Amino acid sequence: MSTPIAYFLVLSGALFAIGSVGVLMRRNALLIFMFVELQLNAVNLALVAFSRMHASLNGQVLAFFSMVVAAAEVVVGLGIIVAVYRRTRSVNVDEVEALKG
Amino acid sequence: MNSSLRLLWLIPVLPLAGAAVNLLAGKRLGRSAGFFATVLVAVAFAISLIVVGGLLDLAAPDRLYIRQLFEWIHVGTFSVGATLRLDPLSATMILVVTGIGSLIHLYAIGYMRDDPRYGRFFAYLNLFVFFMLMLVLGQNLLVLYLGWEGVGLCSYLLIGFWFEKTENANAAKKAFVTTRIGDTAMLIGLALIVVKFGTLDYTVIFGSAGSTLTKGAATAIALLLFAGAIGKSAQVPLHVWLPDAMAGPTPVSALIHAATMVTAGVYLVLRMHVIFEISGVALVVVATVGVVTMLFAGICAFGQDDIKRVLAYSTISQLGYMFIAAGLRAYSIALFLLVAHAFYKALMFLGAGSVMHGMHDHTDMKQMGGLLKRMPVTGVTFVIGALALAGLFPLAGFFAKDEILEVANSTGHAWLFVLAMVGALISALYMGRLVFLTFFGRPRSEEAERAHESSPVMTIPLVVLAIGAATAGLLNLTLHGALSTFVEPVVGPVPEGSAGIAYAALVAISSSMVAVGVVTTWFLYGSGKIDWLALRVRMQPSQRVLENGFYIDNYYSALLVTPGKALAAFLAYVFDVRVIDAAVNGIGASVRALARSGRKLQTGLVRTYALAFLAGAIALLVFVGFRL
Repeated sequence: MSTPIAYFLVLSGALFAIGSVGVLMRRNALLIFMFVELQLNAVNLALVAFSRMHASLNGQVLAFFSMVVAAAEVVVGLGIIVAVYRRTRSVNVDEVEALKG
Repeated sequence: MNSSLRLLWLIPVLPLAGAAVNLLAGKRLGRSAGFFATVLVAVAFAISLIVVGGLLDLAAPDRLYIRQLFEWIHVGTFSVGATLRLDPLSATMILVVTGIGSLIHLYAIGYMRDDPRYGRFFAYLNLFVFFMLMLVLGQNLLVLYLGWEGVGLCSYLLIGFWFEKTENANAAKKAFVTTRIGDTAMLIGLALIVVKFGTLDYTVIFGSAGSTLTKGAATAIALLLFAGAIGKSAQVPLHVWLPDAMAGPTPVSALIHAATMVTAGVYLVLRMHVIFEISGVALVVVATVGVVTMLFAGICAFGQDDIKRVLAYSTISQLGYMFIAAGLRAYSIALFLLVAHAFYKALMFLGAGSVMHGMHDHTDMKQMGGLLKRMPVTGVTFVIGALALAGLFPLAGFFAKDEILEVANSTGHAWLFVLAMVGALISALYMGRLVFLTFFGRPRSEEAERAHESSPVMTIPLVVLAIGAATAGLLNLTLHGALSTFVEPVVGPVPEGSAGIAYAALVAISSSMVAVGVVTTWFLYGSGKIDWLALRVRMQPSQRVLENGFYIDNYYSALLVTPGKALAAFLAYVFDVRVIDAAVNGIGASVRALARSGRKLQTGLVRTYALAFLAGAIALLVFVGFRL
């Protein structure tokens, strides 16, 4: 018998929770970014796990899509972070509040 | 179909072309603008003669020519054509409009000679002739209404032609607004007709009115249409605009405010007489309004010092006479008086204009006198016109007035007969006063002393009109005269009865009324035996009442105009500011207040937003989870 699905899901949920808490707690934009990646990969793990359970390739294909999108998002996000750093000499997201109402 | 009838469309188009050319290029045409305009109307008159000749060639029951120029409005099943109708009634009207119109155009060449807006004057005059022709030639009520409002517009433009003077501009405004009251009622009447008949076409309306309309509906429509006629024909209680309309140039007073436009109301009643007859009550109203107006305006005319205002009140009074005839179902006699009146009233207005020219624009009769010797042509023609109006045998007014009296007499309308007789006396009185004060006695001012005759271009129309005023009676020597027979297919025969006094006695009484009127005024104003100026001072209060038309204007301004202005001021300065503006500003202010509290949500803290994402995602999950 292969590894039960629950193992993967617990791991995935734990990773997602760690990622969420990190996004909410951290102030450094780069670190927030890394936690976001953690969340994405937690979801990918769940997708692949379900894909194996159902013996269908759909979940894995979706995971690939997710990775590609994540890669593109990293490019854009890092670009923004660099631009923000150039302007404010800081990557602390709490200091970026020009749109405060 | 007779080929000469095909020329009909040219009759209204020619004056329209003249108006367009004079309006666009009047300045460049210079002096020839007036000549050009006059020729066009004269040609229209010639074509009218040809067309009416063609109509006369047909047998009496077939005298009807309808020509659709184009489809004007088409909505669903409702359709209105720009359609012309030539029948004996409209034929008579176009002859009057173009005939008298061309004479007045000719006169205006002389009268307006030194006016800086010469071309524009003739453009308006031509435009008026066009609209008046559309009014009488229309085959449906919408074309009539187009003409109706068009002549109202021209009247406004021409009364206020010398708009530099505030009172002229005000008179124009007053005329426009007052007639608008009647026009609004008339428009409602038209709408009622559309509701009842589904069309405005005369043929359909006349053909099916008897079966379609109940008595009540016919009364409603007839009275609404008559309200329009009251406004346009200056009948009590909407008569107040016409005396003030004399502010316009005198040819305008002659053409629009005496000979043609003001008779449009009479034409409307004649044209729609089918509906008035179904109602019955409406005819009583028509006759009543007519008789009240005739007496009221006649009395007012007696107290006027301004020569043009006398004529204006006299016009109102004569229009009242026409409505009496219409109310008695003697439609062809009303038309006869309309034609005769067009001659002698146009003549007298033009004569008054000639007097004003001689007197350096003075219109006060107190300063005139003895003008007959100094202005012989004007004087003689004017006296002919005045006697024609007063109804002296054998001038035009005699036949028209006596035929109306005879109808009232023989059909047993004793009260109308007596009052109309009194009206005849009054008209002889005010005409006598006007003539004796103006043309007889000694000159009472420098200007009257040095007055001179006007140029031939002005006196020739006077002579032609005087011949017309003297001989127009030939049109209808009896109740079954030529004109009555001609229009009988359209308006039916003149009603006759055997009640009342003998015709000879009637003629004797009415002629003695004229004689009494003339002799009385001669004694008062012409004999020199009475110091009428002293008498006038003694009668000051009552003279004032007459001169101001029983202060109707003051009542209107106290009852309607002042409250109206107060309401307008309230709406403009209180309601608009406090309610309309407040509502608009209030909406703006509340949106801003909402935005002020709403913007607090935007903290600018990225992690707050992230938390909101998460909360949203969890909420969504919970929602989906519970749904499953």
